[in-house]
Amino acid sequence: MTALFAFCLGAVLPPADGLPGAKDCDPSGFLRRLKKESPLVFRLSFYLSAWVLVISPLITVFLPLPAFLLPKSLLDAHVMRMSRSRLYGLRQALLMVKTVAGMCWGADPQVRRALGLKPYGEDPGTWRTD
Amino acid sequence: MTHYAYQTGRETLELEVDYVVVGSGAGGGSAAVTLARGGASVAVVEAGAWRDPEDYPYTLYGAFRDLFDEWGSSVTMGRALSPVLQARTMGGTTVINSAIVVRTPGDIFQLWKDQVGLDDPDMPETIWTYQDQIERELSVCPVPTESMGRSNVLALQAAENLGIEGHVIERSVKGCLGQAQCLQGCRAGRKQSTNVTWIPEVRRRGGTVLSCAPVRRLMHTQGRVQGVEGHFVHPQTRKKGSRFQVRARRAVIVAASVTHSPMILWRSGLKTPALGKGFRAHPGTATLGSFDDPVDMTVGATQGMASTHFRNDPGLKLETLNMPLELIAGRLAGAGKTLMDRVQNYRNLALWVAAVRAQSVGTIRPGIGGKPQVFYTMNKADMLRLRQGSIQLAHLFFAVGAKAIMPGVHGLPYALGPDQIHLLENASLDPRAWTSILTHLFGGCTMGAEAGKSVCDFDGKVHGTEGLYVADASIIPSVLGVNPQHTIMALSRRIATRLMERNL
Ligand SMILES: Cc1cc2nc3c(=O)[nH]c(=O)nc-3n(C[C@H](O)[C@H](O)[C@H](O)COP(=O)(O)OP(=O)(O)OC[C@H]3O[C@@H](n4cnc5c(N)ncnc54)[C@H](O)[C@@H]3O)c2cc1C
Ligand code: SF4
Repeated sequence: MTALFAFCLGAVLPPADGLPGAKDCDPSGFLRRLKKESPLVFRLSFYLSAWVLVISPLITVFLPLPAFLLPKSLLDAHVMRMSRSRLYGLRQALLMVKTVAGMCWGADPQVRRALGLKPYGEDPGTWRTD
Repeated sequence: MTHYAYQTGRETLELEVDYVVVGSGAGGGSAAVTLARGGASVAVVEAGAWRDPEDYPYTLYGAFRDLFDEWGSSVTMGRALSPVLQARTMGGTTVINSAIVVRTPGDIFQLWKDQVGLDDPDMPETIWTYQDQIERELSVCPVPTESMGRSNVLALQAAENLGIEGHVIERSVKGCLGQAQCLQGCRAGRKQSTNVTWIPEVRRRGGTVLSCAPVRRLMHTQGRVQGVEGHFVHPQTRKKGSRFQVRARRAVIVAASVTHSPMILWRSGLKTPALGKGFRAHPGTATLGSFDDPVDMTVGATQGMASTHFRNDPGLKLETLNMPLELIAGRLAGAGKTLMDRVQNYRNLALWVAAVRAQSVGTIRPGIGGKPQVFYTMNKADMLRLRQGSIQLAHLFFAVGAKAIMPGVHGLPYALGPDQIHLLENASLDPRAWTSILTHLFGGCTMGAEAGKSVCDFDGKVHGTEGLYVADASIIPSVLGVNPQHTIMALSRRIATRLMERNL
């Protein structure tokens, strides 16, 4: 399942003009962390949204295929049409996938370097125990 | 004195103090330090972990995980799904906010007098006196010129060019470095959030602090509240730890936020007709402007410029907001290759926000798993204000040479030029066409003179109970039209001071 969700992150933020895409930012590692660390409601909203992205090409590009079987150009048309869809649910599902993809992609040191931004440090994940 | 973080083991942690304060944010932090300074023994019971600046995350992922309530995933139920943002950490939302400090406007007290029967003519003076003190304690000052960053400077220039009021924001930040990381806490330790100011002071004065300790319910018999109880929860694994019971000799002060305070009362069987009602907010919508030269939203104070020009008519506050790259990818319209082309322009983008002084009213009720659920839909008048806000932002952007603006409204072209503002004027008023976020929240345990229409009185005392007070944003019975933390802190200080004056 992780591979499928990683595919969705890559579909909304693909590589372009020397800028790495989400698929270049270890999306599977990111999703494993997300699965371990995020609360159920957050996770379920993301998983559900990703499934909507996978099964909705029939509505957007009129093909009865899951998104991962679409050729690259049609996949691009599919996600773009989701973003413009008249169906609020479809737009919201895409927004959720974009938000998660943005977290994975925007924190990646290669992406930040390519955009001329300072790389982030490692999140300590610590707290006071005394 | 003592700090109890996550505890395991079969034994219940039992404590007894004069006052128990639930929550450590703007309201809870202020109440706790006021009581501790008065010599009372205080226990602060906070659901989140206690993180110091060196524990704060760098990334947005880390911020959602370590600092935000429910990973920022709470949304309103209604016509549109709008995110409802709050923190769950020692220091509450003061850790992730932009530390903007604005005094309570005088017209608010008149409104409370007219609408909910405020009968204390001294309230305005008292609140402003406390706000004087708070400003000194939290080192409130305007954003230093060297930390402004280009987006804030452009916005100031834009207001000047249009002849509307615009000012450098005053914040509770000591020596801001302009690192635009307020949403992730402030690793530089400059932001004066309550976890680095008042809560350590409570401890120095002998108070007790419990972290990772969400209060499940209030202990009470025959209307007299005697304390709080719950289980520690591990901040990473969310595993249940030991049970805790903290008894209050004098009173329990609930300050767990607009969404959580009503739920604590609800779970404790203290439901009154007004509980969870009167939810209000300042819904905000953002517009991006694209410039020829880099703006660099990663440089400069997260928020450095504001305009209150439209506070009364039509009811708006305009502000700058430097947004991290991770969020921009979600905020820009489109997906796939088109989105990547757009996001490449990140360094040349500025993001400004219009927050609506909305009149729409919602409710808070227990939702899935007993978690608070906000039901809220912006009415047509508020949508008109929101649209007006977006138009004003467009004017500001074009007044300083933006090439294009991206209002992010469904049904409109992705980018609009200066001669296309009329398209915004006709934009849909359906809330689902807009992206709005709720960060300034009010109500749920509103104060008022009438017991049937409010949850507590103007001293925060919950009607029909003894020993139970509320002292956070949930008592505020209206929107303010300005950033709320200063009002919350001062109201809470007033509640705590009056409690001690009456020796309750
Ligand atoms: C992103 C963002 C930016 C903002 N910027 C500004 C700004 O610049 N200026 C401004 O004036 N306002 C700002 N605000 C709003 C402001 O921060 C809040 O209005 C204010 O902090 C609310 O205070 P509070 O005490 O009601 O709640 P909070 O500050 O949220 O504190 C509530 C505390 O209670 C704890 N809690 C919850 N449930 C329980 C429980 N069951 N048991 C124990 N503890 C519990 C929470 O973990 C939290 O620590 C911003 C808000 C956001 C989200
Ligand atoms: S802008 Fe940076 S240095 Fe200034 S308060 Fe925010 S996080 Fe701290």
